[in-house]
Amino acid sequence: MTFARDSYRTVVVGAGIVGLFTAYHLARAGGGPILVVDRGFLSSGASGRNGGGVRQQWETRGTVRLARESVQAYRRFGLEFGFNIWFRQSGYLFLAENEGELARLRNVHALVASEGLPSKVLDGDGIAQLIEGIAPGAAVGGTYLESDGLLYPFPALWGVYEAVRSLGVEVALGVEAHGVEVRDGKVAGLLTSKGPVATSTVVNAAGGWSGDLSRRSGLEVPNVATRHEILATEALKPFLDPMVVRVSDGLYFSQSMRGEVIGGLTLPHRPGTSRGQGSSPAFLTTMARALVGLVPRLGSVGVLRAWSGFYDDTPDGFPVIGEDPRLPGFVHGNGFGGHGFMLAPATSRRIALAALGQPTDLDPAQFSPRRFLAPTPVATVERLQLG
Amino acid sequence: MVGEPDRQFSFRGRPRSARKGETLLSVLSRDRIPLLHRSIQYHRPQGPLCGIGHCTGCLVRVNGRPNVRACRYEPTSGDSVTTENAWPSPSWDLLGAIGLLMPGGVDSLHGLRRPAVATRLYQRLVRRLAGTGEPPTDAVSRALSAPAVERSPEVVVIGAGEAGRSVAAALAARGITPVVVERGLHPPTTDGAELLGATTAVFLPPPAETGERRFTLLAFREPAQGVRIDARSVVVATGGYDASLLFGGNDRPGVLTADAALALAAPSRPPPFHEAVVVGGGRRAAEVLSSCGDAVTAVVAPGEIRPEVVRAASDRGILLYPRSLLLRAGGRKHVRSVRLRARGGGSETTIACDAIVLAHRRVPHAQLFFQSGAAMEWRPGVGAYAPTVSANGATSVPGLFASGSVAGISPSEFAHHAETVADAVVRGVGPTGSAPSPTPDVAATELVGYYRELLRVPGHGRWVACPCVDVLVAEVERAVRSGYRGIEVVKRYTSLGSGICQGRYCLPDALLLLSILEDRPPAEVGYITQRPPVVPIPLAALASLPNPPALEVHP
Repeated sequence: MTFARDSYRTVVVGAGIVGLFTAYHLARAGGGPILVVDRGFLSSGASGRNGGGVRQQWETRGTVRLARESVQAYRRFGLEFGFNIWFRQSGYLFLAENEGELARLRNVHALVASEGLPSKVLDGDGIAQLIEGIAPGAAVGGTYLESDGLLYPFPALWGVYEAVRSLGVEVALGVEAHGVEVRDGKVAGLLTSKGPVATSTVVNAAGGWSGDLSRRSGLEVPNVATRHEILATEALKPFLDPMVVRVSDGLYFSQSMRGEVIGGLTLPHRPGTSRGQGSSPAFLTTMARALVGLVPRLGSVGVLRAWSGFYDDTPDGFPVIGEDPRLPGFVHGNGFGGHGFMLAPATSRRIALAALGQPTDLDPAQFSPRRFLAPTPVATVERLQLG
Repeated sequence: MVGEPDRQFSFRGRPRSARKGETLLSVLSRDRIPLLHRSIQYHRPQGPLCGIGHCTGCLVRVNGRPNVRACRYEPTSGDSVTTENAWPSPSWDLLGAIGLLMPGGVDSLHGLRRPAVATRLYQRLVRRLAGTGEPPTDAVSRALSAPAVERSPEVVVIGAGEAGRSVAAALAARGITPVVVERGLHPPTTDGAELLGATTAVFLPPPAETGERRFTLLAFREPAQGVRIDARSVVVATGGYDASLLFGGNDRPGVLTADAALALAAPSRPPPFHEAVVVGGGRRAAEVLSSCGDAVTAVVAPGEIRPEVVRAASDRGILLYPRSLLLRAGGRKHVRSVRLRARGGGSETTIACDAIVLAHRRVPHAQLFFQSGAAMEWRPGVGAYAPTVSANGATSVPGLFASGSVAGISPSEFAHHAETVADAVVRGVGPTGSAPSPTPDVAATELVGYYRELLRVPGHGRWVACPCVDVLVAEVERAVRSGYRGIEVVKRYTSLGSGICQGRYCLPDALLLLSILEDRPPAEVGYITQRPPVVPIPLAALASLPNPPALEVHP
């Protein structure tokens, strides 16, 4: 298979939720013809491998606002795209195990509340009311925001995929991007496993593979792909409403609409390992201990399956959005650090603007690729890179 | 078992008794196959299909523990057993109205997405209906905690069937004491080997790249004990299982695989049916006839019926229907009949029966090979993936061997093959020569023709393609029509294969179905990544296992 045309105005690399949403906004802005390429099948990357959490509790105002806008977009998703994503606003609950963690969460609460979101600080009793069967004394307190929630990622992908196709966007699956072609210091095309394609704009929305694409295009970037594992249990009748996230070890879990408990935690990552998306005994045992330690009654519940996916991490924990100043026509929409799904609706709108050469309202110090080129190290760091 | 007092327990509040070594399903199947469960979405009466601990048809709650498989549980005195996901009972379940009101199925992808209040109400309702069992009680999980079992043998053999025992004996004869892991509750022992019974191997990742390249096998022993085995070599002899078949009402109580029929009929007790229809014309059908032929009324085969089955059937006056399409099982809560049509568009026939025993197709239990990264190949004969195995049982992963029927060896060759494998294990040699190819009962190529005819039967869209998750054939057809191709994407689009049996009973058919709908060979439809665990493993079992020395992350 080759492409329908020899040349496109924009080529988006990555048919995950960020790439597809970006293509959607580009197409609606009349930015065609557009080609989206992806190395795998639809949903084979992190967009088909995440836990479905969508939250607005963050440590910076810029991220809180993007997240709030994304929540609004997901609320409208069914009507706009024709697919039911089962978006359930039943809250995100952050757990603190000590006063230090709780103090940090209080700061998050203050910021989130100042943005008009009704975040709450809970004590141990308040938490016990939200997690049936929690081990006594497992948390000293936490924060809770009911309008955070959960969705079912697959139909969101199908919905945006079908929408972009009906807008005339070409989506080529099973096509690997090998790097951009540069002429006169600007992007002139994309080299792919199915041959070259001419374009003046390439959007790098390749998730865990975005660092590879940037580097193969001659751009040094700090993006690191880190593998995160996740598991799902057999389906139980509903007993847990919110997504629960523990600050200390990044343990997170929720109960899906189907009744499965789905969750993961952060394991030490060994850089430079293969890109296999398998599971490890270490994750299964560590995760099981963490989960049973927090909710002992889950001990007899069977783990149904485990899998993994790649976070596209940046040193400061913020995504990279905008044109690369070193290579005109090369637009970043990556570095989401495992939170692409929850931020996609709002960020992809800005990525599309950047691809059209228009200004965005994003704070360049927080989101621009320029921040990694500055001689001074980055100022703020998002530490709530959990769940 | 003579002299052992019966175990008194309660089932749905009524007293029952079990003999030692008898499973709960066996007790409840004394008269006929019971109705214990309702399907997860439409609350259709769903029967125990597999009899070997994979399907959803016999899930019950035992002493506050949800989703216990009656076919793998032996009652003890004082047990309290109740049913799940049906109100007031599996026989009379008011929620069955969901299936009756929506015979074409619920379109959960496109439906129910109106805004605001209505959506919230829908979601609340759907959520209440989701899941099978109520969460367990704290006491259950406390009672289940047990110290983990850890072993570091030279060789671990997975499976203590005839093939696995032969390998274990051959290894013992060469001075190696293997650990043998067997899922069966009462497996026979092998001299010179350590047997871990009632133990299911669930995760065999590729060996660590560094150091000694030893394998780490995770397993659990019933009910929830963690087992971790580190070994230099692994011999997998997990055999095969009887596949399901697509027809109307194929998960109705009374439809069961040959595995289930043989498990419930043996040993020395009458089968839980009196006039069964056996589906299949090959070796497996012959086994069913020899074990419970007196309770069989007809043999129906998608293809030809082999002479040994014809002989066994005519001795008992059993009717034969070769080259027949199974259209649907009759009876609402229990199989009462089966409707057939001769292949190629002949006339239809209805046979009265109280069970349909599926013995037409046996596919390999190959999940552990997928996990370990072994090269797999599509076997067009059985219509399934199996490891690429050389004549000495070696796979593409050094140190990982296969023997028995999962390796394509026929039973008469088990003992001989075991010797060859044991030699290769001892000498640490890799693949040599090519392996024999097995002869299936019905070639999958023939089944493709069978399904091609079946997909022209009116009303087939309402048939159940995936019983665990309640996915209808129409949903699969709709996915393909909308441009979603390949089993990985169709799985995510429809949820087919994401249930509790890990796709064992829907995938063999779905691959052939998709091959027809997508008009390309089954091998190009792809395969679902076989994720760990092979069988659901209790969190408590995993939690009891110590971490490896370094947090080793496998590729």
